[in-house]
Amino acid sequence: MAKPTFLKDEGNRRFQAGDYVMAEALYSQALIVDPQNPALYTNRAMARLKLSQWDSAIADCASCLRLQPDSMKAHYSLSQAHLALRAHDDALSHALRAHELCVAAADKSLGTITAHVLRCKKERWDERERRRVREMGELEEEVVELLERGREAAVRELGGGDEGGDGGEGGEGAVVREEVEEEWRRKMERVREVFERARPAQEKKRVVPDWAIDDISFCVMVDPVITKTGKSYERASIVEHLRRQPQDPLTREPLYPSDLRPNLDLKQACEQFVEENGWAADW
Amino acid sequence: MPVQFAAKRLSKELQKISNSLPPGIMLVSAEDLEEWLLDIKVLDSNPLYLNETYRLKFRFSSTYPIEPPEVVFVKLPDRPIPIHPHIYSNGIICLDLLGAQGWSPVQNVESIAMSLQSMLTGNSKNERPQGDEEFVRGNRLRPRDIEFYYHDNDV
Repeated sequence: MAKPTFLKDEGNRRFQAGDYVMAEALYSQALIVDPQNPALYTNRAMARLKLSQWDSAIADCASCLRLQPDSMKAHYSLSQAHLALRAHDDALSHALRAHELCVAAADKSLGTITAHVLRCKKERWDERERRRVREMGELEEEVVELLERGREAAVRELGGGDEGGDGGEGGEGAVVREEVEEEWRRKMERVREVFERARPAQEKKRVVPDWAIDDISFCVMVDPVITKTGKSYERASIVEHLRRQPQDPLTREPLYPSDLRPNLDLKQACEQFVEENGWAADW
Repeated sequence: MPVQFAAKRLSKELQKISNSLPPGIMLVSAEDLEEWLLDIKVLDSNPLYLNETYRLKFRFSSTYPIEPPEVVFVKLPDRPIPIHPHIYSNGIICLDLLGAQGWSPVQNVESIAMSLQSMLTGNSKNERPQGDEEFVRGNRLRPRDIEFYYHDNDV
């Protein structure tokens, strides 16, 4: 009966040593003997993540969650796999769930998971931003092309053909044509101007407001908590500090993790800020 | 804490102080995220420090800013060790802010440099700590492992 435990321990040992192929095989053997053990699924999922086997890692997480719906590790691994597959919404929702479970369990991986949540937000924003830039570029090209066609049509309407013209009459036609062309050129310039003006506006305001930044990690806050003095910090940072020294960082008054309260309004403000300025997650 | 925690925070601090630092504080080098050098000057006319520039060396561990950095004055031909009842002649500084008890993670490189600057500005005693010679001769410990006794903190 000790066999699956032995296989799991051996798998963990191989995992620690960086031999993910062997670790994965050992977890698989253990699962044959003990298929109801949720920890074996999450361990194998972690090995599969290391091997870039995203789909099978997702399947392991799903198996674990069927047995143990509140597994923080399963949600965290699931998020990593979805992130690798660019399923950004799924990646973020599982990251947030893992964070929630991590806080509830006062687990030591809060710092790692907080950083992962920010990364999910950043990548989701990057993806949207890339799409937006591409679509804007395409739109600009299309509009310019339409204008170009409009100009050609207008010139054609003036009655083409008077190219190798006959003296006076041809001269007047050429002047009219020039006016028409000039008018279209101005239109095109204006359109380009409008697109140009829309561009730098995005770049300009790349400043993270101080209220969104945790004074300990200097990152944008994901889960701000407020102390008795009214100052807010990222939960992962302040908890790490309090573990070493149960004092308010500013006043040095006694402060314990149980004194911390979530700052929901600030959390929402930070979420909205990152939603619109995903680059800030990496600032 | 994730491994890159310290690195991330330090690179942000660096970005900030490369753009602006208070008067009398200059960044000399920060080639990696382990050791930075800064110069400080006392701005008023305190005769103890007039026309002198002092070199500070910051060393960061991977637990920064949860743990304090190690900060010492460095002696160079044109960079003496400032005279102060809390600064040993080998550059080791006795300041509660830099000790495990006095440190707070909301402090940063800039705020430490400013504290040291004002520690010098406010001093009028032309003396080293008690037992300086003996300490400098005998000490093999790194600053953060020394148990300072923070007497007269109001200096």
